[in-house]
Amino acid sequence: MTTMPPCADTPLAREQAGLDACVHCGFCLQACPTYLALEDENDSPRGRIVLMRALADGTLPPSDADLREHIDRCLGCRACETACPSGVPYGHLLEATRATLRGGQAPTVAARALLRVFSHRPLMRAAMALARLLAATPIPTLLMKLPGRIGFGMAMLAATEFPLERAKYRAEGNGENGSAALLLGCVMEGLFTDTNRATERVLIRNGYEMVAAPSQGCCGALHAHAGDLDAARRLARRNIEAFERSGARYVVTNAAGCGAMMKEYDHLLSGDAEWSERARAVSSRVRDVSELLAAVGPQSGGVLPFTVAYDAPCHLQHAQRVTTAPIAVLEAIPGIQLVPLDESDQCCGSAGIYNLIEPETSNAVLARKLDRIVASHASLVATGNPGCLMQIGAGLLRSDMQARVVHPIDLLDASYAAD
Amino acid sequence: MLDASVVDRLRSIVGDRYVLVRDAELLAYQSDGLPGYHKRPSVAVFPGSRDETIDVVRALAAVGAPFVSRGAGTGLSGGALADDVVLLGLHRLKGILDMDIARMRATVEPGVVNATLNKRLGPHGVFYAPDPSSEAACTIGGNVAENSGGPHCLKYGVTLNHVLAATVLLPDGEVLELGDRDGGMAGYDLLGAFVGSEGCFGVALDVTVRLTRRPESVRTALADFTSVADAARATSAIVASGVVPAALEFMDNGTIRVVEESIFAAGYPADAAAILLIEVDGSAEGADADMELVRGLCVECGARTVRVAANEAERTRLWQGRKKAFGAMGRLAPNLAVQDAVIPRTQLTQVLAQLHAIADSHGVTVCNVFHAGDGNLHPNISYADGDADQARRVHEAMGAMMKACVDAGGSITGEHGVGLDKLQYMPMLFDEPTLAAMCDLRSAFDPERRANPGKVVPIHSCREWLAAPSLRSASSGDGDAR
Repeated sequence: MTTMPPCADTPLAREQAGLDACVHCGFCLQACPTYLALEDENDSPRGRIVLMRALADGTLPPSDADLREHIDRCLGCRACETACPSGVPYGHLLEATRATLRGGQAPTVAARALLRVFSHRPLMRAAMALARLLAATPIPTLLMKLPGRIGFGMAMLAATEFPLERAKYRAEGNGENGSAALLLGCVMEGLFTDTNRATERVLIRNGYEMVAAPSQGCCGALHAHAGDLDAARRLARRNIEAFERSGARYVVTNAAGCGAMMKEYDHLLSGDAEWSERARAVSSRVRDVSELLAAVGPQSGGVLPFTVAYDAPCHLQHAQRVTTAPIAVLEAIPGIQLVPLDESDQCCGSAGIYNLIEPETSNAVLARKLDRIVASHASLVATGNPGCLMQIGAGLLRSDMQARVVHPIDLLDASYAAD
Repeated sequence: MLDASVVDRLRSIVGDRYVLVRDAELLAYQSDGLPGYHKRPSVAVFPGSRDETIDVVRALAAVGAPFVSRGAGTGLSGGALADDVVLLGLHRLKGILDMDIARMRATVEPGVVNATLNKRLGPHGVFYAPDPSSEAACTIGGNVAENSGGPHCLKYGVTLNHVLAATVLLPDGEVLELGDRDGGMAGYDLLGAFVGSEGCFGVALDVTVRLTRRPESVRTALADFTSVADAARATSAIVASGVVPAALEFMDNGTIRVVEESIFAAGYPADAAAILLIEVDGSAEGADADMELVRGLCVECGARTVRVAANEAERTRLWQGRKKAFGAMGRLAPNLAVQDAVIPRTQLTQVLAQLHAIADSHGVTVCNVFHAGDGNLHPNISYADGDADQARRVHEAMGAMMKACVDAGGSITGEHGVGLDKLQYMPMLFDEPTLAAMCDLRSAFDPERRANPGKVVPIHSCREWLAAPSLRSASSGDGDAR
């Protein structure tokens, strides 16, 4: 193999220390959903790091088709990070590799178009309004069994329907635990609007004062995962400004993917002299809603008679390393029977826009998750991320399973409503 | 390079997706768990079933092509490296074929991951005892090939003691049954020869392993010492006392520090010169009594503290730190020379001092983490890529350490196998006639020496090999001159 001179200043070259941390022990293999599904080390963390090194040292050119295929196929779930004794920052390596491969362009036209929509607020609002309109008609339910992406997309929309009755109650609290500004999120505010309101209610009831951060927008996570780090940085700067202006003590998220991104604004902007300190300050204030609730209790409410399995969103479990707080939230609900879900720490195959780019692998990963859900006998699967809610929800609907998905916060909110 | 028609034949057996031929795709398979060695396979092929495996091996036999079997690629002696020959990945054969709890045995395919088997056995109150530190990733097939050990082999024995039978595919494509599922024995123990043959005798298509009932009680203690010598003396004292701990592990300060920086931080005292992780098991009273004795001996030998894990979560945490220690070495440098030697336990203090002296004189840093109870040392030297002078010093230090262990009456491997990495040390331990006898044994299984060529026994020891130049040229990757 001919070796070309390594590219001196690429996003990947700047992560060399992270590449060096891997000693090829292989402890990550069994944690990787794509390795388990595809059975090739090129689709494992260890194998992808070998490919990344080859890109960094010039052994492989950015145009190499195999290199691109296996890097594209990574879910970015970061389950390898919580298996890695050497602390390889795999998520950062992946983003830097993708940024190096295509100069920050997402791999497909559809993905590029979608990312553009996410980064423009008016476009985003219009798209979400259309999706909401469609979701309110019987069309998604009618078409959700169609084969392929159209059917799956319809099932994802159908899965946004709330599985319980939503009773109204008035949330009251003394605000003694500090102020919090909610990152509304693109998909959360667009398709899970009620969950956002429920998040505000349960936080108020648990002693947090909710304040607005009106000029906020997309967190940039999808752009960063696709390697469009420049777009991610633009979006990050906008949010840093918005949340600074809110004056809130905490930035709270109810979408694991957005929370993980915001907690890493410091890394994203570490090379930006003007912004790095501000990014660090905002990142240190970011909390998942479950963290804020677990820190103070949370208060218990009325009885809910459900059998619930908790499925950990990867970007909560592996990226943010928040593992027990969501369980504490569910345990605070009287009447709920929490049943174990085997491999609850493994990806469902949603992974941002992955199910759009790699439908085949996404489905293989989802199938394994659905099998585990059947075995758990749960009637509700609780998970705190919109992508996971829609992916698992769609899988359940399309395979005629009885179980439904729900955000843990919606359950706590329903419990308070039943109080 | 393999003939294109053979590659087509492999594709027709396992499907296009599972035959890798391009440079970029083969990069990931150039190393196993020991970084620093890179050998490019000519082709990598991953059969998905027993029948596909048989067909692949027969297709290779038909053209006389050498091959190297590989499980999860977590081996630490370079044993699964294929130097321009076919790499046969067995990781897709991951069926647990039978769990017969009443008869205390399970039959599994070679690609079943050690920890996955134990996860499935857990609810039945039984376990498969050999527990290499890589248990979360390594396969039973690989464990059989290497006769793997692990912390708990001190009391429970190594892989060999837990394999009842195996269906073996010889390199010429013949399938035979070795051993006896019911534990009977008649004739020569060919299974005993197969276990630990490092992929040189053929491929295990399935393995029947012995299951062990979970002990009623387990007590795990962390003893910390301000001097390495004290920890070594405590080890000797515990062994001499007659207590057989389930495990007795040693970690030095360098190892403690990398573990404590990692996600598997176990609460080891960062200022300790060494710690011992000691586990005893049995009946509740027996375990308590043993632990009291162990605690007393540790304190007598100068332990600063001896802390017994209060619950299962704490126990798991103490163990996770130990088991992930080797992987955590990446925090020091990108490359790692992992060694594996056995010494008489009475020589622990003296040999550890020697190893440090060797490291100092070669200007390298050694971290020790090992199975102290059975004298199985693992000196690890971390080093940077691309520094030729340092790489040479590491290499020389490793050779000197091996020699020190052999001179102390020990051996060059306890559980990692010889593979490629320790081929050079074999003549330190065995004379020419003994090595030639090993070659003769291999000939009974693989007369053409096509399975894992160039490993374990230096080729110049093999009389038939020297007498058969045609075989030598058939396998360009096989030779002792490199």
